[in-house]
Amino acid sequence: MTDNEQWLTGADEWAFSRAPLVELRGISKRFGAVVACDDVDLSLYPGQIHGVLGENGAGKSTLMKILIGLVLPDSGTISIDGVACTIHDPLDAAAHGIGMVHQHLSLVGPLTVWENVALGDAGKLDSDEVRNRIGELGEEYGLVIDPDARVADLTAGLRQRVEIIKCLRRNPKVLIFDEPTSVLTPDESQLLFKSLRTMVASEGKSVVLVSHKLDEVLSTTDDITIMRQGRVVDQMDTAETTAPELARSMVGREVSLRAERAALGHIELDIRAEVAPEPTVVTEPMLTITNANASGPDGQRLLDNLTLDVHSGEIVGMTGVEGNGQRALTDLLSSLLPLDSGTVTVNGEPVSSSSPGAMSRAGIGVIPEDRHDSGVVLEMTVAENLVLVDPQRVAQHGIIDHKALNRFAEKMIRDFGIQCSGPHAPLWSLSGGNQQRVVLARELADHPKVLVAAQPTRGLDVGAIEYMTDRIREAAAAGVAVLLISSELEEILDLADRIVVMSGRRIVGEMPRLGVDLEYLGLLMGGANV
Amino acid sequence: MGFFEALIDIFTSDSTYINAALFAALLLFAATGEWVAERAGTINISVEGMLLSGAFTTAVGYDLTESAVLAILAGICGGLIVALVQAEMSHRLSADQFVVGLTLNILVLGLTGFLDREINPKTKIVDTWNIPLLSDLPLIGQALFGQPWPFYLLYVLVPVSGWMVYRTRFGLDVRAAGENPQSADVSGIDVNKRRRQAIYYAGFTSGLGGAFLILVQVGQFEESIVGGRGFIAIAAVIFGGWTIRGTIAGCILFAAALSFRLSIQGLGYQLNSELLQSLPFLVTIVAMAFFAHRVRPPAALAQPFVRGLE
Amino acid sequence: MTAVAEPATNEKQAGRARQGARLGEWLVLYALSILGAILISALLVTATGGDWQSVVTALLDGSMRNPGRWGETLGVAAPLLLVALGTVISSRAGLVNIGQEGQLAIGAAFATYFGFLIGGPGPLNLFVLLVFGAVGGALWAGIAALLRFWRGVPEVLSTLLLVAVAGQAVAYGLRWQRLLLAPEASRGNRNQVSEQLGTDRRLPEQVIFGNSFPISVYLAVGVALIVAFLLARSIWGFRLKMLGRNPRAAQHSGVSQKRYGSTALMLGGAFAGLAGAAMLAGGGFAFGNYQLVPGFSANIGWTGLLVALVARERALVCIPVALVFASLRTGSGFVASTGVEGRITDVIQGLLVLALLVPPAVMFVRDRRRARAATTART
Repeated sequence: MTDNEQWLTGADEWAFSRAPLVELRGISKRFGAVVACDDVDLSLYPGQIHGVLGENGAGKSTLMKILIGLVLPDSGTISIDGVACTIHDPLDAAAHGIGMVHQHLSLVGPLTVWENVALGDAGKLDSDEVRNRIGELGEEYGLVIDPDARVADLTAGLRQRVEIIKCLRRNPKVLIFDEPTSVLTPDESQLLFKSLRTMVASEGKSVVLVSHKLDEVLSTTDDITIMRQGRVVDQMDTAETTAPELARSMVGREVSLRAERAALGHIELDIRAEVAPEPTVVTEPMLTITNANASGPDGQRLLDNLTLDVHSGEIVGMTGVEGNGQRALTDLLSSLLPLDSGTVTVNGEPVSSSSPGAMSRAGIGVIPEDRHDSGVVLEMTVAENLVLVDPQRVAQHGIIDHKALNRFAEKMIRDFGIQCSGPHAPLWSLSGGNQQRVVLARELADHPKVLVAAQPTRGLDVGAIEYMTDRIREAAAAGVAVLLISSELEEILDLADRIVVMSGRRIVGEMPRLGVDLEYLGLLMGGANV
Repeated sequence: MGFFEALIDIFTSDSTYINAALFAALLLFAATGEWVAERAGTINISVEGMLLSGAFTTAVGYDLTESAVLAILAGICGGLIVALVQAEMSHRLSADQFVVGLTLNILVLGLTGFLDREINPKTKIVDTWNIPLLSDLPLIGQALFGQPWPFYLLYVLVPVSGWMVYRTRFGLDVRAAGENPQSADVSGIDVNKRRRQAIYYAGFTSGLGGAFLILVQVGQFEESIVGGRGFIAIAAVIFGGWTIRGTIAGCILFAAALSFRLSIQGLGYQLNSELLQSLPFLVTIVAMAFFAHRVRPPAALAQPFVRGLE
Repeated sequence: MTAVAEPATNEKQAGRARQGARLGEWLVLYALSILGAILISALLVTATGGDWQSVVTALLDGSMRNPGRWGETLGVAAPLLLVALGTVISSRAGLVNIGQEGQLAIGAAFATYFGFLIGGPGPLNLFVLLVFGAVGGALWAGIAALLRFWRGVPEVLSTLLLVAVAGQAVAYGLRWQRLLLAPEASRGNRNQVSEQLGTDRRLPEQVIFGNSFPISVYLAVGVALIVAFLLARSIWGFRLKMLGRNPRAAQHSGVSQKRYGSTALMLGGAFAGLAGAAMLAGGGFAFGNYQLVPGFSANIGWTGLLVALVARERALVCIPVALVFASLRTGSGFVASTGVEGRITDVIQGLLVLALLVPPAVMFVRDRRRARAATTART
């Protein structure tokens, strides 16, 4: 990433105005017993892209929520342009010139682009004014979009554009971007960063980029604040730091294991020097998907002639930008999506895609990308969630034996290190990492032949990430055919034996992990015809 | 009289159209407000109670003041009172909107019946205003332009309601609240407030509907004055696919069926009256079954919104 | 590194104190709400010149105190309880069934038709009656299930619309002798009425201390116990709960929404239909005197739904709640004799239901606020 220098020149003219636009001093916030922010100081200067770096759970999101008015701090001051103030709600924040670009959280599908952009304004609704403004902003920042298009019909990248325009329209002095690149292709990410530079250089805005990815922050920002466990642990100019230094600050100790660096969004370029693992014996694949075609309720194509196989003991890493069919594939293997045509076989036996629970019975375990969506029932207890798929194991004649249920649950809790107050704890009371462990425990308890792990470490802190990746490796070593679906390339490169690329709802390329060509991979992910 | 002659007689007589217009008007008063409420994502099952309450308060208002205008205002208040309970309990206190709505219907029925015996208000039908020229049109002239004056309120109410939902800030917020309350909330819209306001609007229009019943159509309060037509209004909104034009079409269609039944019975024909009476509901069910894919209710319909945890 | 270890003693004490405080909150809220409802009712009565004391006395007399009255109350509570239990089952599966009134009517109609069609000796005929009542209700709910699971029509709308259709269908049936209408000789002076059930095919009555009630009471309570047990302990109940809370997780786990959902909805209808048959065969004067008439369902369907909702969908809690609503109903007959318009009991019932809605609603809002504070910080 050598464009650093080119991008940094634009900031020079504003470098002299060293008065901060926004100053946070001593911000603290706790939720019950949990300290989310602890005496945080942060200064944002005009003409700068400021990175806030930290692993998941470090407090970055809470800090931004405070800045945008969704959360009130327990103590500390916020000053804008030197004047102290309190921010009561998002509209208040907007009035003070602070805007946040949300992650697909603030758009209403059936409405048009201009209606969405106008959402939440006060005062009369003037469609012409809004439409014109959308055109102007599009020109200015290179974010062109059709104001009358229906948001539901747009791609994820275009929807983000609408969010950005919605934000820019209020003419904020400070723009906060929270993990914006997870829904973008590498090309789209580059376009986004270029727009950020424009905002910062030409108008002297201040941009905050919140991220857990080292490389991204290194290549895009002017200065960096690193948060760990609610505290600011370091602040420095981007030009004066390196990836290992950042990693060390983020985690608080020397980071030498490749696994953790991957978790922090840093790709080691010396992968190719890796010692080759023992060659796996070529066997019949355990899981075979052939020419799978599936469509959604509105007729849109969800899977397009997808063909894939996974062998016992191998980890296939499926990479690709979100929204290219990964969700549909996971749904298919969870018996949540019937096929229009094509087959799924496990161990040579075909499995019905339209019968509920058939995939599970055939030996496919699934850790879904959104556990709240289809992985757990929040209102049920830990014990109940552990037998969701197979209550018969603790039942006789159709009646559940609660003693057996508790025994089983306690064993799982021990084996998987699930932190909770016991088998009767409601699932919503567990942390994200522990909820994920419940899902893992349940799906592995039946000794599946195939394990599908979709974005398994999303939203988890480094410790939890380590645990998950270890268990996944363990499963593969024990002979399970593992399909790892992730939009985090680092994770794929860390775990997979073989990499397949998903784009346009089908597999577009495949390569072994050793000797992987990152550029080629990026092209495939971006949908280029190579 | 042969059956076909009877049909021709019905379709060429003024009274058929007048009756249809009167029935449709009541449905429209209720359905317009209900449409706004459902676009906001709530199912306001207490429409029946709102109409009844509006009718009763209109009757009492007229009894006290002898003024049609004041009586109408009283009717609006009657509708708004029911709306108050429905809105506050369902969308501020998060009580189940169906329980609240159904209970309100029973409550209002009991209360108005109870008070009616005690107070026994006297009312009459208001003067007819014939609009010159237009009211001389054949068949529909009297029906649409020769009615007592509160009827004409509809010509303003319906277009204004449509404009309000599609072109104003309030309408945009309401639609957002009905389709995706989470996004609306993050964008800074107070979802539950908009839903409450939509219900108040429904109370307003249904109160007017109740006033209409007393001052234009029936003239005297009785317990059965609404007789389930609140539910037909709900059916009309659903049948109309949650658009204003569809709602109007539904109201006219159902009113036509009601009027037809009245006329054909008047001529001595015993058409299957139960079938005709259940027609609005049957037609709506069939329409839902066959057009469920093309016609979508607001995505968040009947789902209460509480600013959520993840 | 698990946390299954014993929580410290003072944590336990703190937990118990919290529970105690919570219980206190609930009691206060309920007390205030019910008091509010009673106050408003009293105000209404006195404002229109009545005497609040005598209304209360009449209610108590009519429902419990006078000879034979609590038997009547039990007889009304039985169908209410059955309807409520059916509602609990469909709600557990996440379905909103508000068509009990119609399912009940169709159930009663089926019971009448097939009861007379099939005939047979007394007890057998009674059994046939009850079975077909359940079948009728199930089929009527089945229409809504079909519409929901094959065409995507929300069941809240279809069950509601079907109520009106059911009423009309029964009225239609009562106009034709080959359907439900009694032959002219047995009609008395009424136009639309079915043949009266013979004395040997009515629900036997139990007499305790001079109060007689049909054995449908035992049936209802027995069903309540079974339903409560199955919902709490059986795999079927477990799967229904899954379906209701997270249909996608349920599907992943092998619970077919179509199968389990349809079954739950049809069971809701079956229970309502059974209630209708029980009203027909055990009603006495409370329910049309063993004859089917238009409007037979007499709001038992709606009230049964309310019972379930007030009981917060708990099968066993439905028992006392059904008794309360039944008391209001049987008591209302006596109120008229005090000079106060009998309608006042509808008002009291309505106010009471609204009052009973307030505490859970308030606690829900409070709980959400507390939970949000605790969990926002977690990843």
